[in-house]
Amino acid sequence: MSLTSEMDNARSHVAEPMTVAVIGTGAIGQDLVSKIDRSPVLDCRLVAGRNPESAGLRHAERLGYPTTAAGIEAVLAAERPFDVVFDATNAASHRDHWRLLEPLGTLVIDLTPSKVGQMVVPTVTGVWAATGRNVNLVSCGGQASVPIVRALAVRFPVTYLEVVSTVASAVAGRATRLNLDEYVATTGHALTAFSRVSDVKAILNISPAVPPATFRTAVQARVSGVDVAAVRAVVDPAAEQVRSFAPGYEITACTVVDDRVTIALHVMAHSDVLPPYAGNLDIINSAAIMVAEQHAARLDRVSWAKVAR
Amino acid sequence: MRNVVIHDPTLRDGQHAVRHQLGVAALGRYAAAADAARIPVVEVGHGNGLGASSLQVGLAAVSDEEMLSTVREALRHSRMGVFMLPGWGTSDDLRRALAHGADVIRIGVHATETSLAERHLGVLRDAGAEAHCVLMMSHMASPDELAEHAARAVGYGAQAVGIMDSAGHFLPPDVTARITAIVKAVGTTPVIFHGHNNLGMAVANSVAAADAGALIIDGCARGFGAGAGNTQLEALVPVLERSGFATGIDLYALLDAADLAERELMPAPPVITSMSIVSGLAGVFSGFKHRVVELSAPAGVDPRDVFFELGRRQAIAGQEDLIVDVVAELSARKAIR
Repeated sequence: MSLTSEMDNARSHVAEPMTVAVIGTGAIGQDLVSKIDRSPVLDCRLVAGRNPESAGLRHAERLGYPTTAAGIEAVLAAERPFDVVFDATNAASHRDHWRLLEPLGTLVIDLTPSKVGQMVVPTVTGVWAATGRNVNLVSCGGQASVPIVRALAVRFPVTYLEVVSTVASAVAGRATRLNLDEYVATTGHALTAFSRVSDVKAILNISPAVPPATFRTAVQARVSGVDVAAVRAVVDPAAEQVRSFAPGYEITACTVVDDRVTIALHVMAHSDVLPPYAGNLDIINSAAIMVAEQHAARLDRVSWAKVAR
Repeated sequence: MRNVVIHDPTLRDGQHAVRHQLGVAALGRYAAAADAARIPVVEVGHGNGLGASSLQVGLAAVSDEEMLSTVREALRHSRMGVFMLPGWGTSDDLRRALAHGADVIRIGVHATETSLAERHLGVLRDAGAEAHCVLMMSHMASPDELAEHAARAVGYGAQAVGIMDSAGHFLPPDVTARITAIVKAVGTTPVIFHGHNNLGMAVANSVAAADAGALIIDGCARGFGAGAGNTQLEALVPVLERSGFATGIDLYALLDAADLAERELMPAPPVITSMSIVSGLAGVFSGFKHRVVELSAPAGVDPRDVFFELGRRQAIAGQEDLIVDVVAELSARKAIR
């Protein structure tokens, strides 16, 4: 599946670029700004934080983008609404932000585990906002596990699913730490939504290991009557698809003991600004950028002058 | 005599030794015996705490709610304790536990990850519950780091704070240095010590902790716990009393409770096996033992190598999923040789 086929087919012309703003200047926000910087079709017009001293605002300034410490208010005060607003704050703030942004007609791409918008996991749902204007990226563990979980559930009679993700402490920001409850609830919700398995469990570990541990996810499923070869036959192609936008996504172990299937995978960040272990940021942010770029293509707002670089 | 409060997680941490399979009858009988001995706090739950029943660390035989109502029913004097790991359990689990009559709620975090407890300590503070914060795998952090994190936990609302020697790695001078630093950092807030017995040091370490100013000491009947077990409660209490600490516990009733625990909770009391010594030396959580042994044998790798490799990777409690990878890697390395 080519996730960018629609973009590839877009008419070649120079149009007004897609204006975007980022709210939140933590680990996720910073990497998003870097990815927007490298996107041929997204034009970052504002990076909004709360703390004027934050490293995230300094980072955005260094890249030459306008910044503010006035948060959502500054986003709302813009002369023209942004085409896309990325929300990289926290689940509770997102609910407030959405209430304020919804009337503006902006596409809101939510990186918090708020469970508010339409859930997008690129290789499973595609990357367009099919309904409404709020897209939710679930969670890093959701992005890593749902493609595998979906592949298993489509092919086998899965009765229970469990997903344990481990994130390096260095790339688990304050919002992530305060949103563990929402992480657990939203990831579990996505597991059920995309597998139709009602008995699910999501767990998140934060690893303090030095050197930092690469982002990893273990999917465990109860399925009777399968062997490793049968499992590999469905999960390997699923992983291959994810690699189309997250090249560091790799299955590291696949075992079957009785009715217990375990698939361990890790995601290395392939990015010039992220350390390799920060695959949690890379996979969710890469997915978010694809949603925004697809939106630009649909609105015919791809600036091919920038693409041609 | 200085008072120390004995906190008894036999019915929570002991679950690791029986793969979280304690039944309702056993829970009720031990809780009643502990209550009769006037043990101040009786903690109950899945070994990894509220909401942790899972394939990753083991499915419990009894639901959280049933465990809590059973023990609540059996306690007249003792208070009921529960444990929760953020990322495993959630605020909803805490609220359910409070509704079931939990008096003392402990939030466990890795030694240098106190900020993971901020949200839940806040929820408990708002609910008016007695909230503790315990720093796990504390051998991985220096006394100064532990002191800083303990002070942070108090700032988030913890009414007691302390350390777990989750890997059973400490020797008494290690404990003295850490408890001293923490007591200095948190002032009048009670400090907790929770020992494991991998190197045969749990009781001695607990006395060192009390001497250094810890006010809450954990112990389990017959040392019931993962691997080599925890601090043996019925030895700990009289040793503390002889060392000049008052526990308020009735010795004979305590010994009776321990006898009951041996009969009804465990196939056999924990012993310091060769594997437990290795996990203590490697600094790996003893709860990994079953899965390490289970996966090593069929792959033809030495489980001792698996423990040392897990230690090298600084695996923390909850990361049982790493065992599969380590076994696969060691097995592959062996095939190359």
